[in-house]
Formats: sequence, structure tokens, C-alpha cells
Amino acid sequence: MDFLIQMIASGLSVGAVYALVGLGLNLTFWTTRVLNFGQGSVLMAGAMITAVLVARGCNVFLAVALSLVVSALILWVIEFVGVRPMLRIRGSMGWVVSTLGAGIFLQGSASWLFGTQAVAFPDVLFKSSDTIELLGAYISVQYIAVFVISVVIVGLMELFLRRSTWGYGVRAVAHDRELAALMGIPVRRVVVGSFLVSGLLAGAAGVLVAQVSGTVDPNFGLHLLILSFVATVVGGMGSAVGSLVGGLTLGVIEKLVGGYVSPAAAEMVAFVLLVAVLTIRPQGLFGKADTVKV
Amino acid sequence: MSKLVDLITNTWTLAVLCVVLALAAGFVETGTVQMWSFVAINILLAQSINLLTGITGQISLGHAGFFAIGAYASALLMKGAGLPLPVSVVVAAAISAGAGYLLSIPAGRVREFYLAMMSLAFGLIVYELAREWRGLTGGVMGVRGVPSAQIGTLSLFGWVLDSAWYFRILLLSLIGTMIAFRNFVKSHYGRAFYAVHVSEIAAGTLGVSQAATKRAAYALSGGIAGLAGGFYAHLVGYLTPESFGLMRSVEILVMSIVGGLGSLTGQVLGAIVFTYLPQRLQAFSDYQFMAYGLILIFVFTLLPNGLAGLLKTRTRYSKFDQLGGIGNASPAVALTQRHSDKAASHGPLIRVEQVTMEFSGLRALSGVSLDLQPSCITALVGPNGSGKSTLVNVISGLYKPTSGRILFKGKDIGGQPSHRIAAAGITRTFQDPRNVPSFTVRENILMGANRLYVHGPLAAALNTPHAKAEEREMLGRVEALMATAGLTHHAEDIIGDLPYGIQRLAEVARALASDPELLLLDEPAAGLSEHEAERLVQLIRMAADHGVAVLVIDHHMDFLARLVNDVVVFEAGEVIYRGDMDGMRSNQAVIEAYLGKEEVSHA
Amino acid sequence: MLEVRDLNVAYGAVEAIRGLSLVAHPGHITALIGANGAGKSSLMRAISGITRPRAGQILLDGRDITRLEPHQRARLGLAHAMEGRRILHQHTVEENLITAWHFRKAAGSYHAARDAVYAHFPILGERSHAKAGTLSGGQQQMLILSMATLHKPRFVMLDEPSLGLAPIIVSQIFEFIKGYCGEGERVVLVSEQMASLALKVADFGYVLKHGKVVFEGDREHLCAGGLADLSGAYLGGTGAH
Repeated sequence: MDFLIQMIASGLSVGAVYALVGLGLNLTFWTTRVLNFGQGSVLMAGAMITAVLVARGCNVFLAVALSLVVSALILWVIEFVGVRPMLRIRGSMGWVVSTLGAGIFLQGSASWLFGTQAVAFPDVLFKSSDTIELLGAYISVQYIAVFVISVVIVGLMELFLRRSTWGYGVRAVAHDRELAALMGIPVRRVVVGSFLVSGLLAGAAGVLVAQVSGTVDPNFGLHLLILSFVATVVGGMGSAVGSLVGGLTLGVIEKLVGGYVSPAAAEMVAFVLLVAVLTIRPQGLFGKADTVKV
Repeated sequence: MSKLVDLITNTWTLAVLCVVLALAAGFVETGTVQMWSFVAINILLAQSINLLTGITGQISLGHAGFFAIGAYASALLMKGAGLPLPVSVVVAAAISAGAGYLLSIPAGRVREFYLAMMSLAFGLIVYELAREWRGLTGGVMGVRGVPSAQIGTLSLFGWVLDSAWYFRILLLSLIGTMIAFRNFVKSHYGRAFYAVHVSEIAAGTLGVSQAATKRAAYALSGGIAGLAGGFYAHLVGYLTPESFGLMRSVEILVMSIVGGLGSLTGQVLGAIVFTYLPQRLQAFSDYQFMAYGLILIFVFTLLPNGLAGLLKTRTRYSKFDQLGGIGNASPAVALTQRHSDKAASHGPLIRVEQVTMEFSGLRALSGVSLDLQPSCITALVGPNGSGKSTLVNVISGLYKPTSGRILFKGKDIGGQPSHRIAAAGITRTFQDPRNVPSFTVRENILMGANRLYVHGPLAAALNTPHAKAEEREMLGRVEALMATAGLTHHAEDIIGDLPYGIQRLAEVARALASDPELLLLDEPAAGLSEHEAERLVQLIRMAADHGVAVLVIDHHMDFLARLVNDVVVFEAGEVIYRGDMDGMRSNQAVIEAYLGKEEVSHA
Repeated sequence: MLEVRDLNVAYGAVEAIRGLSLVAHPGHITALIGANGAGKSSLMRAISGITRPRAGQILLDGRDITRLEPHQRARLGLAHAMEGRRILHQHTVEENLITAWHFRKAAGSYHAARDAVYAHFPILGERSHAKAGTLSGGQQQMLILSMATLHKPRFVMLDEPSLGLAPIIVSQIFEFIKGYCGEGERVVLVSEQMASLALKVADFGYVLKHGKVVFEGDREHLCAGGLADLSGAYLGGTGAH
């Protein structure tokens, strides 16, 4: 029973991070119809920079702030060199390859700068030994903090998108670029803004997930990218609440399988789910089926 | 430059080069021969991903998965079951092809970045399996002691193979695979793959089943990568999962894209460059992944057609050159002469009966009935949104009618998949031309003939006399059609570079190359010059003279007036007029449909 | 005054507009009449900046806007309602209006403007919290008109506002357009396939064919001598140019 509760708690905590990553993926997908295959490496960069700066004696909060800024800038550069020039190419081949390339480049750079070994991640929120008792089980306070922060950020983003003028702008661009432009919305600025915010979200998610896992290494982003993509597809790519539900479900399933079967089986869960979901609903659960354009 | 390329890619030059390499293998250092073997393996890998991603357009970010399956299968089959080299690599290729076939079932249902994500996941699943299925793969420790030429443990029927002989066997296999692959790609199968790449909808209307085509592409691509894997296993002698991770998939992708997607020569260049570069350039090796990342980011911007594009070589998707032209073609072979003896015919060629088409409550067609006769050209006109294109989409199988029947030669074809309808002899064109932009005019028109081919994939790969004769016959048809359409002098031009009007003419010629019985043209004259429109009229008349029933949607009444026998006018999904052009011009209902009601009554 | 000089628009190799010039005067409704594919939509898209013309100039009251981004043109008081009922389907009626208001520079308050819309089209007020995609065709067209005119722009372009609507709704919509144009010195450009409809409201008309003006004139001229010519422009045969 204790073990079950601990597994569920850690599942909810990583699941909330998946939702956060999914939201970042969504944001740029809405404005450009581009899915950033390099997003995983941006998570890694955010976590890695925090870890390295703290290890060199930097203040924890300053380190986190700096890594968020760097993550946002990385996405801005990706938009500039990897997305905008590729939108001229028919289909998705161009930007899939270029954003994947950006991710590989970041991964290679991190290996070169910091080595391929896992780096211990500092305690940013509470201590890893802090626990509280819940239903007789001891739950790490860090898990709870990560869960709460992720859910709050997702909630705030949802509020921003639904209630603020600029949120309306983003949704208008997502729905119909031409119409948005005719309404006086500066589409370019909205697109660049969505990449910057997506970068911030990725950086934050990287820090949070590294806090739970305790270490960060150059390869740590790719699995997260796929898991978050699955969470988003399961939850429906249109809504933040959807990716939250999808993320939490996936996180709990993953941890339960990991705890009761084997960690290797947990790794396979996401892939199997991905293939299953896409097979059952080929267009994903991104809302409506693509209408056949003739 | 292109002369140099021609010289290098000349069959004799290549043959001499291969013989020299095979002989030299015995005299150079073992390390050099090893490198040559790696180049050969990489060429196979690059061709494999080129088939799937470059030609069929299905992106693969997990190609190392197939490579791994082939490598482990061959290693374990030889080590465990004691199979000899030729058997173990061929079985390994077959297993990998099977994996490709299985992957095509989910992968065939998704496209674009969903497919990219799925292929990425496929690569990682295989990698994880290799790490975790310890009983079979040895886990992270890998499989050691695979019989290998490098350490002299590989023997073939009792004869110990050294590195040089291993290279010679590999080279021979590579040459055999390349020749068969080239023949296959230049056949109607290769064109079908490309058709699926460019437009799955248009492929269906050529009689190409996109599902079956994708399954074939995955299986074949998996098989070639598996073959490469098998040879790799016996080259290195030990396998660990780390050789088959994401970076291997990225490397394969980089080789192929930098070489030039869709080009067979380009793949060879890409494989050579990315086998030697890390070896020769220490700096490249140190920063390999950063370099691969940068290459992927910028390759489509800086080198959109890869090295092949840089050298201006392109792979031809027909056997025109191989056959040395087509000999003499007379216009008579363009279309089959169907007797349109109206008295003897049993009713109309196609009969649309009370067809209704609804889209989520919106009625695009309501109870449309229409007959079309052989040799008769009928115009279909009407205001925007009156349901003209919808009718063509229903007949050609893109939409399943909500109710009603469509009888083609007495058989109800309503709701059948489009490739089946196309195969039955109904061909259509689209409002926007759906040509393959990188093909020549000749190759594009030849694509239309796809449904007429009878020879199978093996015959295509081996270039049997029958396959050659058939290709020659189809090329003859194409030649005759180009003559009528006035496209002969554009035959060897890349269609994407030609003016719009020429592209449209080529599309109609492509439709005729399928030797249809019913031809449906959706705004064929839009954007044509006077001269081109005249050529179009001749093409369509020729079809009608050969007994083809033609239905033309267009807005250019002057163009239709010179062409058609009768006119059908649609308004709000219903037929409001059928008769000749003059009758239409003075018909109240038609004028009201176009100009509005009140003006007419006041006037 | 809205002025277009020697405009050329092409999509790839297809020429949609070939050397077209026209003038639309304030206080008048100018109609663009022509069949499918005559170039009406392409012309409007080039004027609002969605499509980049290959050559030519577009001027608003003498100011050259050919190089401006579409959102900049919108902020200069140029509204364009595209064909095909383009609205934000997932947004509510109210959200559509808010979005249409906030990114353009306008005098006055949003609430006043919104209330004016609801006063004119009470049905929109009743359904203000409904998703725009669930409105009927006529209601959507009312919303589109309201969004285009919310901030009282001086230049308004409406692409096929009557398409697929019942006659009663069409006359309501044309009444609105007439009223809007008459309120101030406003330039209104309306495209129509149905010539008779266009001529009921338009003061002046341009007949387009193959991306060129084949015929132009005021209402009397078009109504009197022009019917045969118009019929020709659509159906070919006699009177075709």
C-alpha cells in the first residue's frame, strides 16, 4: 500500500511535468503547425545549465533564472534558423529534420562541454530527504513541490490563453493566420513570442524533472520529449487541461509499471502507447480529423 | 562538371572500378579493406532509407532499428544455428523485411510528424529491446564471438574468409542489390512509390493503392537495411546496443539527405563522404554529433537536393535510356480504339442514379442522375459551390455517396476505393495539377499508364524481356500522346520548371496514358493560353474519337463551346439544365442561377 | 479613396490578376462582378496584404501601402472580410468581437462598439456566449460584417457576402452595408457573383474576367445596356469580351 501510494505520487509529479512540456510543444504547434523535435534537448539544456552553475557556486535561483533565459533564447534561435526557413518546404520533412538537428546539436554541445556522464542535480526545492506522511506512506516533499508548481504553471498558461488579449491573439493565429493578420494581429510577433514562452516552459520543465530524477545527462531529453508527445496526443493537442490529464495518467501508468514490473518495461510503456494511440486514431487525438482536401 | 559525372557514373567505368577494387583488396592493408566494407554497408543503408524517405516520402528517424534487427538476426543465426553466411544474411534480411512490413501497419495510418515520432519510437524500441532482452541479445554486454572475417573466424563451406574475400563477397552483393534496385525503381513500381510520396490522393486515381505501396516500401527498405546489418555483424564480430542507438539513425539520415533524397547516385556519394569524413578529419570525429546536428539544421536550406543536386545528376524514373529510346511510335498506339457503335451498345457507359452526398448535414448533391455515353464530351458547369467537383469526387471514389448508385458498365462502383475505380478505367484530373514536380514530362505521363502494366516486381528488378517490352510499349503510348499535346520538345524537361499551362497539358496527357474509358477533367483549361487550350481541345477530341466518354468541368464557356456535345448545369446540387450550349445561354433557370433572379425579371 | 494601379498577382505560374487598375470612391459602394476564378478574391487579398502582388501599387487616400504588412494595413483602417465565412469557430461570438477590436487602433470604447453591434443584430447579443462555429450561416455573416466594421474603418472590403444565404438575410446584410457606407465618407468594395444582387446596392461596378477589368460603369449603365454583356461574361457567346 505504501509503495503504491509512493508510486502514484511520483507518477503524478512527473506526469505534471509531461503536461508542462506538452504545453510548450502545443504553443509552438498552434502558431506554426510545427512540432519541435528538439524540445527534449532544450529541457536538458535548462537542467544542465542549472546543475553546472550551482556546482560552480552560483546562487540557486540565479542559476534557474539564467537557464530559463537561455532556454527561451535557444527556442528563439531554433525558430529563426530551423523553422521559418523550412515552412517554405511542402510537408513536414524540412522542419522535422531541422528541429531534430537542433536537438542533436544541443546534445552534442552538452556532451562536449560537460561530458557524457550524468551530473548530480542540486536541491532547488526543499531537500531530497524531506518527506511528509500521507495515508501512512512517506512522500518526498520535492515530488509535491514539482507537482504543485507544474500544475500552477499549466493553470496560469491556460488562464493567459483564455482570458488575456494576447491569449486571444495566440488562439486567433492558431486558428487562422490570415484572418488574424486581417484583425491587426502582428502574426510574426505572436509566433516569436510563442517560441520564447515555449522555451521558458521547457527550461522550467527541465529543472523540475531533474529535481525529481536527481541527475541530468546530455541524453535525458529524448525520452521526455516522446513521453510528453504521447501525453499531449492522448489528452488532445488542443487544450492545456487535456495534456494535464494525459500527462498525469501517463506518469502514473509509467511509475506503476516501473515499480511492479521493471524499469525497462516502464520505458516501453510510452512507445507502446504512442504506437497504439496513433494506430487507433491516425490523426492523433488533436481534435478533428483532417478533412480530405481535394 | 556534368560530363565528369557522366563519365564516373558510366556503367563501364563503374565496372572497371569494381574489378580494380576487388583485385586491390588483396594488396592493401586490412584497415583499408575494412573501410571499403564499411562504405559498402553504408551505401546499402543509405539506399534503404532513400527508398522509404526519399522515394516513398515516409520519413524514418529510426532506421537503425532495421539495421539492428538484421545484424542481431544474422549473428545469432550463424552463432547459434550454424547457418552459413549466405543463408544467415538472407534470412536476416527477410526477418528485417518482416519487421518493416509489421511497422507499416501502424505507420501506414499516420503521416507527417506523427509518422516521424512513430519511427523515432520504433528505433528506440529496438534499441531498448537489444539492451533489455538479455537472454537473446546479451543485453548491454552484447553478442560477442560472432564469426567474423576480421579475426579469421568466418568460414564459408569450410573455406576461411579473410577481410579481402569478405569485401569481395560484400561488393558482389552490393552490385547485385544495386542493379536490381535500380531496375525496380525505374519501373512502374518506383513511379508508384513516388506517386504516393507526392500525393496519396492522386496516387489512388492512378490506380495505385497507397496502403499496399507503403507496405511494400517498408518491407523492401527494412530488407535492404537488414542485409546491411547482416554484413555488418560478420564484419565487426561483436554487437552491442550502442551501435544501434539514435545516433546511428541520425547518421543514416544524414548520409541520405546530404547525398540527395531520391537520387541513387547521391546515396553512394553520401555514404562515401560520411564513412571517410570522421576517419580523415579528427576534428569532425570529435564533434561528430554537433556536426550532424548542424548538417540537419541547414541541409535543406543550403543543399536542398544534396550532393546529387550539386553535381546536377538525377535519377530517371523510367527505362527510356536503358532501352535506348522507343523506336518508332505511331499515333495509333496512344489509345485503344473502342468501338462506339451506339446502336449496338447496351445503354450508357456510366449511369449516375439519384446520387446524394451530404457532409455533416450539408447537402452538396441531392438526387443527381446523369448518363454519359462513349465518344461523347459533356460539359459540367454551374456557379461556385453547386456540387460539380463533388460529383467528380464521388464518381472517382474519393467520396462515398450518402445514397444512390453509380453504374459503370452496369456494375455499381459507388463507394469503392479510388485505386479500384481507376483500375476499372475511370481516370480523373484535379483542379491543381498533381504531377511529380521533379520528374520529367515523359516520366509524369508514363506514370499515368501504371494501371496497364502486368509484369511483377521480380520481372521489373531483373529487367526480363517481357518487362522491357511492356515498358517500351508504354513509352510508345507516351510518345504519341506528347506528339498530340505538343509536348514532344519538353519530354526531357523537369515538369516543375515548366510554365503552368504545359503542366496542365501534361496532366491531361497523363490521364489519357491510362487508356481510360471514362475521363473526368476538373477545370483543365484554367490558366491555359489560347494556344495551349487549342492543344487541350485536340487531346480531348482524340480521346472522344477513340470512344472515351469525357466529362469536363470548366468556367470558360468559350472554351467549352468549341469542345462539347452537351452541357449539364448544376445549381445547389441539382441538375437544372441539360442540352446544347445555345439552349443553355437562353435558358431562364441558368441565367437566374448565374445572375440572380430579380434582374432577369426586371429586364 | 482606394486606388489600385496596374496590379499583377500570380500564384506560382498562374496569373490571377493581370494589369488591373481601379478606383473606389468614398461614400460609394463599388462592386466587383465576375464568375468563379475571375480574380475578385485575389484582388481583395492583394489589397489587404494577404497576397504579395508581383507588380503594381495599392494606395489608400494617396498613401502607398503596397509594402505594408497586413496587420499594419488593418491598423490604418482597412478591413477585409474574406470569402468562405472566415471567423474564429472555436471562439465565442463575444471573443470574436474582442479579438477583432483589441489589435486595431480605434477611438472609443470596446463596450460601446459591442453594444452597437448587439443593438443592430440582436440575435448576436442573444448568442454572445455561443461558439461562433455553431451559428447559422446568416448569423455568421452578421458576425463577420460586425467584426469588419467594429472599429469603424474607412475602407471595407467584403468578399461574396451573400454566398449561400437566404434572400431575406441577403437583403438585411445589404441594408447594413448601405447604411454603413452612408454613415460617413467610407469606401466600400463588395464582390459578387450574382450581378443583379450587386447592382441593387452598388453605385459603381467593375466586371472582371481572367484577372482583368472587361467592363465598368455606374449602376444605370450596367443595368441598362449591360445585361447582355454581363451574361456574356459568364456564359460566353454573344457579348463576350
